[in-house]
Amino acid sequence: MLTSYVPIFIFIVIAAAFAAFTIVFARLVSAQKPNAIKLEPYECGIEAAGDARDRYSIRYYLIAMLFVIFDVETVFMFPWAVSLGKLAVFGLIEMLLFLFILVVGYFYAWRKGALEWQL
Amino acid sequence: MTPITPYHYLVLSAALFMLGVIGVMTRRNIIIIFMSIELMLNAVNINLAAFSQQLHNAVGQVFAIFVVAVAAAEAAIGLGIILAFYRNKETLNIDEMNILRW
Amino acid sequence: MFESILFYTLAAFILGFGVLVVTARNTVHCVVFLVANFLCVAMIYVMLGAEFLAIIQVLVYAGGIVVLYLFVVMLVNLKRGPDAAPDRRRQSRVGFVLAAVMLAEISAILVYSAARPASAVAAAAATPLQTVGNTEVVGMLLYTDYLIPFEVASMLLLVAMIGAILLAKKEI
Repeated sequence: MLTSYVPIFIFIVIAAAFAAFTIVFARLVSAQKPNAIKLEPYECGIEAAGDARDRYSIRYYLIAMLFVIFDVETVFMFPWAVSLGKLAVFGLIEMLLFLFILVVGYFYAWRKGALEWQL
Repeated sequence: MTPITPYHYLVLSAALFMLGVIGVMTRRNIIIIFMSIELMLNAVNINLAAFSQQLHNAVGQVFAIFVVAVAAAEAAIGLGIILAFYRNKETLNIDEMNILRW
Repeated sequence: MFESILFYTLAAFILGFGVLVVTARNTVHCVVFLVANFLCVAMIYVMLGAEFLAIIQVLVYAGGIVVLYLFVVMLVNLKRGPDAAPDRRRQSRVGFVLAAVMLAEISAILVYSAARPASAVAAAAATPLQTVGNTEVVGMLLYTDYLIPFEVASMLLLVAMIGAILLAKKEI
């Protein structure tokens, strides 16, 4: 049973080996003449300003939170979709109830402006 | 080498759970305490999956799915509480979360 | 043989990343080690024949919950964490107690497993769990026997969503 994963295992090994090989090979072959301007982080030609660890807006948290909630909802739909043939109408009603409860939350988020993005 | 039995998985899960407990007990950054709780939930899920395989019964996996759903809700609410707390006190130290202490 | 090597490698990675999550000073590093830990646990689920669980481990934990953690770490953005000056004495005492409990737990498992022949258990575990797909078995159980917990889970998610919006509302 586990042997059916051997191709994936080989794939992982080859991918890791390829990444390691390109990094090491580039390090060995490339000419390295660094100066201060070359070592600056590239930001579309604009001079970099500030720290990468700047404070983010709380909207990122809200969007990520909504993503996690609807992610879990989707996860519940996969086994439902696979076994819907045996569950028939009963399964459809169940899932509609489930979705209705979560759509209430969706409209709450909408009304409260959690989906808006003005800074 | 001996074949891998469910006991191997139980030992692994026990070790991971204890790591989570050690994290909760020794760290004072509340976000890291939350991550330790996630480690403990994962240990529980390994346990459920191992018993599910040993007993040839998928109920363990169904419960593991519910654990994942609860973990998602817990992360959303817990991190919201952390953000609200941080707005008021500008700190993440668990020792300073004592306003509700009786 | 292959299974043994895989199990011990994955167990070493899981526990190693777990130790790093608990001990790393930088919170962002902790989150990254947590992702690695979750991915290794997903591979353990594949070994246990719980493919659906492995998929949702990657989808929900590694892809969703950890992103949420990362955003919160970025949001609060502390230059100097609360663990900058840890109380060494308290840590080591708690650690010793927990290590003793751990030792007792593992030895209990080993004594119990020695009392029962491991080969019988392994033989039982070697036979496949089912012939139809894992996801379908889980789905049939979830939507027939565990119908009420499933609907309650949707209620829990609704409450979590509304609560999180209320907690963050002040800044919208």
